Amino acid sequence: MDHSATPFLGLQLSLQRLQTPASTLLSDLHLSVPAGCVHTIMGSSGSGKSSLLAAICGTLEPGMRCEATVHVNGRRLDTLPTHQRAVGLLLQDDLLFAHLSVLENLLFAVRPGPMAQRRQQALEALADVELAAYAQANPATLSGGQRARVALARALLARPVAILLDEPFSKLDTALRQRMREQVFGAIAQRRIAAILVTHDPADIADPARLTVLGRQSDHA
Amino acid sequence: MSATTSPKTFAPQLHYAALALALAVGLPWAWSLTGALLAAGSATAWSGLATDVQTPPALWMAVWTGMAATALAWVGAAWLLAAHFGSRRWTSLLQRLPAMLAVPHAAFAIGAVVLLAPSGVLVRWGAAALAPLAGPLGLVLDTPPAWRSTQDPWGLGLIAVLVLKEVVFLLWAGAAHLQRPDVAHRLGLELRLAQTLGYNAADAWWRVAWPQLQPRMLAPLVAVLAYSIGVVDVALVIGPTTPAPLAVLAWQWLQDADPAINAQGAAAAWLLAAVLAVVVALGAGAQRLLTALWSRPRWSRGPRPGPVANQHAAVHQTKIRQLGAYTARAGWHGAYFAVLAALAWASVASLWPFPDLWPQAWSLDAWDQVARSSGTLGTTVWLGLASASAAVLWCVAWFECAPTRWQQRAWGLVYLPLALPAVLWTLGLHRLALDWGIDASAWGLWLAHSLCALPYVALVLHGPYSGFDPRLRTLAATLSCGPWPFVWRVKWPLLRGALAAAFAVGFAVSVAQYLPTLYVGAGRYSTVGTEALALSGGGQRSLMAAYAALLWLLPAAVFGLATWVARPRQWATPRHNIDGLAAQGH
Repeated sequence: MDHSATPFLGLQLSLQRLQTPASTLLSDLHLSVPAGCVHTIMGSSGSGKSSLLAAICGTLEPGMRCEATVHVNGRRLDTLPTHQRAVGLLLQDDLLFAHLSVLENLLFAVRPGPMAQRRQQALEALADVELAAYAQANPATLSGGQRARVALARALLARPVAILLDEPFSKLDTALRQRMREQVFGAIAQRRIAAILVTHDPADIADPARLTVLGRQSDHA
Repeated sequence: MSATTSPKTFAPQLHYAALALALAVGLPWAWSLTGALLAAGSATAWSGLATDVQTPPALWMAVWTGMAATALAWVGAAWLLAAHFGSRRWTSLLQRLPAMLAVPHAAFAIGAVVLLAPSGVLVRWGAAALAPLAGPLGLVLDTPPAWRSTQDPWGLGLIAVLVLKEVVFLLWAGAAHLQRPDVAHRLGLELRLAQTLGYNAADAWWRVAWPQLQPRMLAPLVAVLAYSIGVVDVALVIGPTTPAPLAVLAWQWLQDADPAINAQGAAAAWLLAAVLAVVVALGAGAQRLLTALWSRPRWSRGPRPGPVANQHAAVHQTKIRQLGAYTARAGWHGAYFAVLAALAWASVASLWPFPDLWPQAWSLDAWDQVARSSGTLGTTVWLGLASASAAVLWCVAWFECAPTRWQQRAWGLVYLPLALPAVLWTLGLHRLALDWGIDASAWGLWLAHSLCALPYVALVLHGPYSGFDPRLRTLAATLSCGPWPFVWRVKWPLLRGALAAAFAVGFAVSVAQYLPTLYVGAGRYSTVGTEALALSGGGQRSLMAAYAALLWLLPAAVFGLATWVARPRQWATPRHNIDGLAAQGH
């Protein structure tokens, strides 16, 4: 599969067909997202953008059929179960675990190791998103913006090789959205993660040079 | 490059596990039903039933008490839901439900007898209160009055006990749906929206929330009807005797020494099931007709003319409605309190000649005797714990392993035991125990109790499991958390309240089992329930009350434990939050 000695750094998706039991959602979609870049996929609801993300992270509904290969940094992912893919996910709902404190939510994502070290990592990540004072807090008591930042810190702590952003800014107000965009895109560039952003809102587009609009089946990457 | 994505999953093994689980419950159920069918398979059984002079009045009594109790419980539960959902008292109402649900029917019935009997607390205190009026007329009670207030020939006492108990079950079933976070949120929005369209709170409930909730309460309603028509233990304590409801007759026939009479009892159990099916079918038809002709046109009729035009009347109406709800709730809670207090009181009253308001002597002899019956206590507790554990483990395994489609298909089967008369299942379980050689053994008893607890446990867990956000699994997986770590690190901790409640319900169901304990256990195992029932006809009032009180206290203790397990987590002091907010705002 990988012919070159140095594999492509980033995410490569080669999708022949993505089908529901009733119809074909997507066909012939090929993407290469270099590490550190964000590729935006635009489409209205029902265009298959959420199913595409599910196919990449391996959580398609049982009835769906997908013919696709996914490589990240030369490693093939689509044959692995979700938890071995190291593909992160950021949704419009933060989905912080309600039974865990903010710090425990972060620790959930940290790789196994000595506890003191893991704790240190989680605390540093919390400080990075300016929420160091909230380590022991109940996530339900945080504001929407704070929760979104905890979710970002948690996703990054798992050291993903690629990250999928499913309309992650759509529930934030305009001022907060701008700040969150900068934070998310900054982290992706700095950590050299390949990212795919799906949205229906043109204002969310990360980089107009890296854009696929579903429904028209165009492909710019 | 082209390939079909097929990540390795545990799916095939899970399918086998689900199949094994289905067999583990389906096989005994099918065996029981077949056994019960064969038991009633002779023509003489049916002709005996048909020619027995007791059959028609007993059948009529069963249908009358069952239908009356079900209808009243339905109206009561619907009204209490309407009056409380979204109000300040909704939470406190919900908090009291488990404690009331935990009271076994038999314990409640015995308490009601202690309270209502001609020599009971109510008559003594009532007579004393009325003495200034009745005295001059020469109507002084110095012997218990000759009326039959507990085993009245119309079955009113039986109906009252069933209504008070089944209202709780129906409320709980409705609340279980309304408490799901997604449902509560959406319904709250819809109700507020309806009010902005000019409906008052009550109209909004009846036209928006109730039509959505009602279909989900029909299955519990069928369970209530099946329970009420087929009830034996409550009817033995407080039900009429001439005629007794058909289920009681069937139970007596099944215990007869004569196999021909046994077969007649089996036929009576099937007759009850058939009557139940007819009542359910007629009820379903009536409900559809009512919805089409009366309810549906009302739902879309538009708001009542202006609350602004007639504001005074609107306020007045709301006040009357609140007063009604308050009275209903107070009366209903008061009945539970009075019944349980009467049990506690009677258990420590030793010498108490009739017109006296207070016992002449108090004594703990009854409790002492209860404490010394360690075999009975031990059997009750281990049976409850073992069958609740089995039922919870089975349900959790089933909900985790079985594909959604299987779960949907099997749901009716899981629910079936609740929709058939208990005496029929008991008969079937007895045949099963005989066929498998586990009658009169601890294993047989455990199997019977576990199977009886299973539908209720499944009922508790069904809502929380189907309402569980599936995205959490995906998200945990993207954080490198595999399927098994996910269930014990995220899912079960989040569902711990429901799991604890399910265990408590399973325990309570096991403790309350009377028929299978006696029949499958062949009388060799006595539990607190069978002791209380055995004493209910005799003269040892304090001992009976002590056993009945214990019958309530045991499940109440487990429910208390479940509440403790499910208590909200204590979070660190909010000082951190305030500091944080001050430091950086948003």
